[in-house]
Amino acid sequence: MADDRGAFPQAPARGVRSGAAMAGHPGTGSAPEPVLDGDAPPEDVGRRLMTVNVGPQHPSTHGVLRLIVTLDGETVVRVVPDIGYLHRNFEKIVEGWAYPGIVPFSDRNDYLSAINNEIAVCLAVERLADIEIPPRASYLRVLFSELQRILSHLLFYGTFGMDLGAFSPFMYAFREREVAYTLMEKATGARMLYGYNRIGGLRNDVGDEWLRELEGFLDYVEGQAWPEYMGLLIDNEIYRARTIGVGRITQEQAIAWGASGPMLRATGIPWDLRKTAPYLCYDRLEFDVPVGKNGDTYDSAMVRMLEIKESIRIIRQVLRALPSGPVLAKVRPTVRTKPGDYYSRVESPRGEVGVFLVSDGGHKPYRLKWRAPSFCHLQMVPLMCEGWKIADMIAAVGSLDVVMGEVDR
Amino acid sequence: MNILLAAALKVVGVLVFVMANAFMLIWLERKVSGYIQRRYGPLRVGGPAGIYQSAADILKLLAKEDFMPGGADRWLWLLAPVVSMVPAVLVYLVLPIGRTFTLQDLGVGLVFFSSVTSFTLLAIFMAGWGSNNKYSLLGAMRAGAQLFSYEVPLILSTIGVVLIAGSLRLQTIVAAQTQHGWFFFEQIVGFIVFFIASIAELNRTPFDLAEGESEIIAGYHTEYSGMRWAMFMLAEYSNLFTSSALGVALFFGGWHGPWLPGWVWFLLKTYIVVFVGMWIRWTLPRIRIDQLLDLGWKFLLPVSVANILGTALVLMVR
Amino acid sequence: MGLFDRVWNAAKSMAVGHAITIREMFHRPVTVRYPEEKPPFERGSRSVPVLKVNEATGLLNCVACGLCERSCPPSCIEIVQAVDAAGKKKPWPETFELDLSHCMVCNLCIEACPFDALEMADVVELSSYQVQDLIFSKDQLTELWKTSKALRVAGGERI
Repeated sequence: MADDRGAFPQAPARGVRSGAAMAGHPGTGSAPEPVLDGDAPPEDVGRRLMTVNVGPQHPSTHGVLRLIVTLDGETVVRVVPDIGYLHRNFEKIVEGWAYPGIVPFSDRNDYLSAINNEIAVCLAVERLADIEIPPRASYLRVLFSELQRILSHLLFYGTFGMDLGAFSPFMYAFREREVAYTLMEKATGARMLYGYNRIGGLRNDVGDEWLRELEGFLDYVEGQAWPEYMGLLIDNEIYRARTIGVGRITQEQAIAWGASGPMLRATGIPWDLRKTAPYLCYDRLEFDVPVGKNGDTYDSAMVRMLEIKESIRIIRQVLRALPSGPVLAKVRPTVRTKPGDYYSRVESPRGEVGVFLVSDGGHKPYRLKWRAPSFCHLQMVPLMCEGWKIADMIAAVGSLDVVMGEVDR
Repeated sequence: MNILLAAALKVVGVLVFVMANAFMLIWLERKVSGYIQRRYGPLRVGGPAGIYQSAADILKLLAKEDFMPGGADRWLWLLAPVVSMVPAVLVYLVLPIGRTFTLQDLGVGLVFFSSVTSFTLLAIFMAGWGSNNKYSLLGAMRAGAQLFSYEVPLILSTIGVVLIAGSLRLQTIVAAQTQHGWFFFEQIVGFIVFFIASIAELNRTPFDLAEGESEIIAGYHTEYSGMRWAMFMLAEYSNLFTSSALGVALFFGGWHGPWLPGWVWFLLKTYIVVFVGMWIRWTLPRIRIDQLLDLGWKFLLPVSVANILGTALVLMVR
Repeated sequence: MGLFDRVWNAAKSMAVGHAITIREMFHRPVTVRYPEEKPPFERGSRSVPVLKVNEATGLLNCVACGLCERSCPPSCIEIVQAVDAAGKKKPWPETFELDLSHCMVCNLCIEACPFDALEMADVVELSSYQVQDLIFSKDQLTELWKTSKALRVAGGERI
């Protein structure tokens, strides 16, 4: 079509440094010629390709992700993710902060799974400071991290539907998220960045009334909302046509690229840190790890949908087994850790969130490394998208469920 | 002189209707989407159920800067919204609004309708090419492939009706249904193909690839703002109305109905079809370009041809 | 699976989706019309730490010990202790400034305070065009405490 008119640069490629303007456009005469870095791959020479910047301002880039996409018509030839637009220097800043302050700050990394981030930090510090958390705190942490998982997967459902062009699922997911957020607000005092965990437990207890309300919410999600989600989007024939087989990764690729969480489980590997390296009281709870078969976008979305059900199951068990007692261990205001290092990891909704904490014995970390699952997943974008259409690229990136706050930190 | 006066009146009438209808439909779309998504939709501006919202929007768009992107193909870019309005207004000519009320009852009304609507593609391509924006160009390319491939099943699906009614004149087709019963029942296959193809022709979800928001921002009208953008919107909603109206005329007996005057029935049926289109838009995800073409060429086209053959066979036997 | 099965399944799945949307359409909207209608704050919602006043004496509870200042991770609190003419330190703050543009509402200052001088307010409409306007002085923080509807517990519950 338009290619035949010679509208596009002959060999644009990796390293093309032009904006959105099309070189040689008949109407312009002034459009800048793209400047090649000189590293255009030989297979591109003579092909009429077009480079498009998808993001950082684009309706579906999940924050500020920029994808430099080389297109052959509608087909994605090459895609290079560009990150760093949301860099906040988390790891360096916390080297100057006392441990209690790091916990609420870690909320801001993956702002959709704040509780899981807090738990990762707390586990590392508690291990190095030899703090034993009370059993009620352990159960409540599990409860909140599973509630957080439901919240995060609901958002995934909404935004994934949006990426595929369906708008109503987004609103329906937010309808339930609103209820869950209100529950969170009642318990923790905040709606999104909770700052709820403390070194040694939780800041405050939850009441029986709240627990009953939570149970009502779980019944509602399981009985009404979840079937509705499936009927509206996941079982829809257009949705299936758009996702099955798209953005497929094999088990070997997933392991090689460091995938974790639903992305890894979608390929059929039942790797869930809650099972394989249990923390808190997960070893005392009964749940299944949903796995996919093909590792495509359909499977990873399906794994997340099934995880909502498993999370509900876990929370129900927690509600039954919740011991009474304090929620915060006796901790000195200035927490000091013994020298050493520890890598704590938790299963966040996106995968393995790891905190590698090196301590020199002070009340601040000597070094804190944050392992973000989204960062690893984002590297798989070229693997998943190249050779597919633009629409598939959007679906594949959507299925990664990246949170840019976590990628850039 | 009288002819000219009548023509001028008709043009003014159509333009007024296009504007009022677009106001109505934009408001309706927002309300439908709002209530489907458990929201209120626009309420803030006032009027019953916030109906003044569209008027406020038009005022806002009129006041906006008319911004032309750098490096745009000047004349193509400037003319594209105007060109998109031309077919949108022109098709009102043949709509059988009431028993005796058609602006110009052409003998080849159906052919006129489909040939005029295919001009929309020209406007989209002018906009996409003229904008000097890659997203616009991608949108225009998609629209080109899409409109071209759905034009064929759209026309073929109506031929069954034409065979039964024995005329291309829309008034005659509607009149045939008053005796014969609505063609919807006999031509249900034709209607389904017609409906799918007309949604695709209108670039609406699930076929809104030309302006697929999550993929290519806003497609061919990415670079437009202010009144030029509003003209695309007016044309889009006018097309939504006219193609629903054509569906009503062909399959649902047009102005045919008891008690109420014909034009009321016509409008009522048309708005119901429009509502169904909106309902679909806020339910389904978007289809992919290759699946779209597959659906058009490999499914709708054979089905509509089979429908024609079947209809012809039945008519021959009868 | 034959073509007819595929078409049938596709049609069925879409019919299910449409049934869901039309059913939702006849339910009440769940949104609130924000400026006129405000959703209630839950007990213990946190928005900004404010200074508490002793109801009996009308004085601040704060004694300018600086514990909150030290416990604040992003260092957004700045306290200057009052000094009398003789240069002797007085147990109240001369200035107490809170930079809300840095504050991350973590509640740590409140937990650090041994004098029950700070509390979380439930005022969220604090946006401003100027970042300087987000630095709250002692008087402003006291004023906020007076206007905010009492939450006084839960999120700010003493542990």
